[in-house]
Amino acid sequence: MKRLKYIVPVFAVILAVLLSSIFIVDERQKALVLQFGQIRNVVEEPGLNFKIPFIQQVVYYEDRILSLDTAEIEVTPSDDRRLVVDAFARYRISDVVQFRQAVGAGGLRTAEARLEGILNPQIRAVLGSEGVTSNTILSSDRSELMDRITAQTRARALPLGIEVLDVRMKQTNLPTQNLEATFARMRAEREREATDEIARGNEAAQRVRALADRTVVELVSEATREAEITRGEADGERNSIFAEAFTQDQEFFEFYRSMAAYERALNGTNSTMVISPDSEFFEYLGGSTGLLPLQ
Amino acid sequence: MAGNNGGPWGGGGGPGGNDDDDRGNGGRRPDEGQQIPEIDELIRKGQEKLRVLMGGRGGGNSGPNGSGGGDGPNISRGTVAVGGIAALLVAWFMASFYTVQPSQQGVELILGKYYRTTDNGPHLAPWPFISSEVLEVTQENNVDIGTNRSGNSDVGLMLTTDENIVDIDFQVVWNINDAAKYLFNLRDPEATIRGVSEAAMREVIAASELAPILNRDREIIADTVLELIQTTMNSYDSGINIIRLNLDRADPPNEVIDAFREVQAAEQQRDRLEREADAYANRVLAGARGEAAQVLEEAEGYRARVVNGATGEASRFLAVLQEYQLAPEVTRRRLYLETMEIVFGDVDLVILDSGEGGQGVVPYLPLNELRRSVTEAGN
Repeated sequence: MKRLKYIVPVFAVILAVLLSSIFIVDERQKALVLQFGQIRNVVEEPGLNFKIPFIQQVVYYEDRILSLDTAEIEVTPSDDRRLVVDAFARYRISDVVQFRQAVGAGGLRTAEARLEGILNPQIRAVLGSEGVTSNTILSSDRSELMDRITAQTRARALPLGIEVLDVRMKQTNLPTQNLEATFARMRAEREREATDEIARGNEAAQRVRALADRTVVELVSEATREAEITRGEADGERNSIFAEAFTQDQEFFEFYRSMAAYERALNGTNSTMVISPDSEFFEYLGGSTGLLPLQ
Repeated sequence: MAGNNGGPWGGGGGPGGNDDDDRGNGGRRPDEGQQIPEIDELIRKGQEKLRVLMGGRGGGNSGPNGSGGGDGPNISRGTVAVGGIAALLVAWFMASFYTVQPSQQGVELILGKYYRTTDNGPHLAPWPFISSEVLEVTQENNVDIGTNRSGNSDVGLMLTTDENIVDIDFQVVWNINDAAKYLFNLRDPEATIRGVSEAAMREVIAASELAPILNRDREIIADTVLELIQTTMNSYDSGINIIRLNLDRADPPNEVIDAFREVQAAEQQRDRLEREADAYANRVLAGARGEAAQVLEEAEGYRARVVNGATGEASRFLAVLQEYQLAPEVTRRRLYLETMEIVFGDVDLVILDSGEGGQGVVPYLPLNELRRSVTEAGN
């Protein structure tokens, strides 16, 4: 029983020492073993590791890919049109020793500030460099520009123990004060398009109507022409019929036709005739006897 | 404390040693290193072994066999210890055992180092040497970009290559295709997908003109952006699979949408004008065709009337002529008298003797008055 009193604390002390002398580095981490602030060991591989208990401390660093979103900055490409740009960078801590030396105990927060301090000037430099206009940024050359920014940032971030994997631009927008002007221009373009549409509609409509009117005139005049031809033929046929009939006895025709003409021309009450009783019609009227004339 | 810790350490030491890692066991409990049971034996007999083990310790350090000689208080204390240890063992087992559903993948780490990826089924990851994480891999996750415009109105506004602005809302649907890569390579996968997607969409939009984005190129844009996102995520070795990209909206911004609607209205008006003109053309053309037909038919009618009339008149003349030729003088006189009869019957007749006196009268005959009086009398 007396031994038990000693064993339990001793056991506890041994356990504490053991626990303090081992540490586990996760797959997602790297670690530095520090002794009074000085780097004693670098653990890059995950697994179980040992250190001197109590004296040495372990600092863990992220081994996964980290992201940094930059604040919006205004850049001025060489055509002097300003653009609001923001970007994000993907990076990882490649060298924990350099990283520790560069950012000290500040960790990721300090590193992000330092990295943004590197990244923003590179964005400005690349987007503002010779030959890069806003049209270049707003084109398929954009990925090439991003590659240039990535390469330049990567070179400058290496001394921090940071490997920049990728820089990508997100926004490339017009500044707010230019936005309204752009909207106005877009509206004007649409209005032009709308006017154009209506004008073209009117044009097409007029074309169709004019063609229709012309066709109408053509159709009717053609029909009239055909009709006149038909009427002419009919008149000709009539004449030939009459000629054929009337030439059989021309003298009788003249008499017969004259009779018909008198009958038609002189009917009704619209005519007054003054005639002499000597007329052949009155041969028997004036004082004759009704006897056969003496031959 | 030490006694309580000893339970789980001892329990953990057994399977840990059997399973994979002798180092942890050796480092911590050298006094138990000689006990190497089978893993199934542990599950079945662990409690018994521990009872023996703790009983020996509780019995005054005389050895494993000393438990049999314990007195009253020793027995009760031993029982409590055994019960506690059994509970701890169950707790350990619960902590070590995990199940992977068909929709999931498990990732096992041995002391923080990636060991393996496990599939569907029950698995044992002896605590604390092996830790496990289970992730939903088939589940589809959505990242919406530009949809929540109340928070940040600029998110969906993108500049096109012809310096127009288009308002884009889209949704990226993704899942995990490699749980280990997903866990170990990206710290913040969802934010990364969001950032990469936005950058990719803006990159593609910045290289396109406004008009095609609004209609015919939507499919192409969605495909291109999807490919770009996937390529980028692969370059991070992220273990993320982009399933699809839903381009919910690609519209002009609200500020100018009215102008775009006006264009649509103008397009419709154009269409209407053209249709109206077509209708007019159809109407007047049909009318003209009808009129032409009428003119032609009238001409034909005229032909029929004239020819028939002429034929009839000619026949009549010929008939009369035939009769006349039989008795020319009589017929001629009869025709004359009949005609005169009709003519003089209708006409106002003034018979004036054209003798000696009559000659002098004619120049003074007031024909107009004569006619008037006749007319009045007629009335």
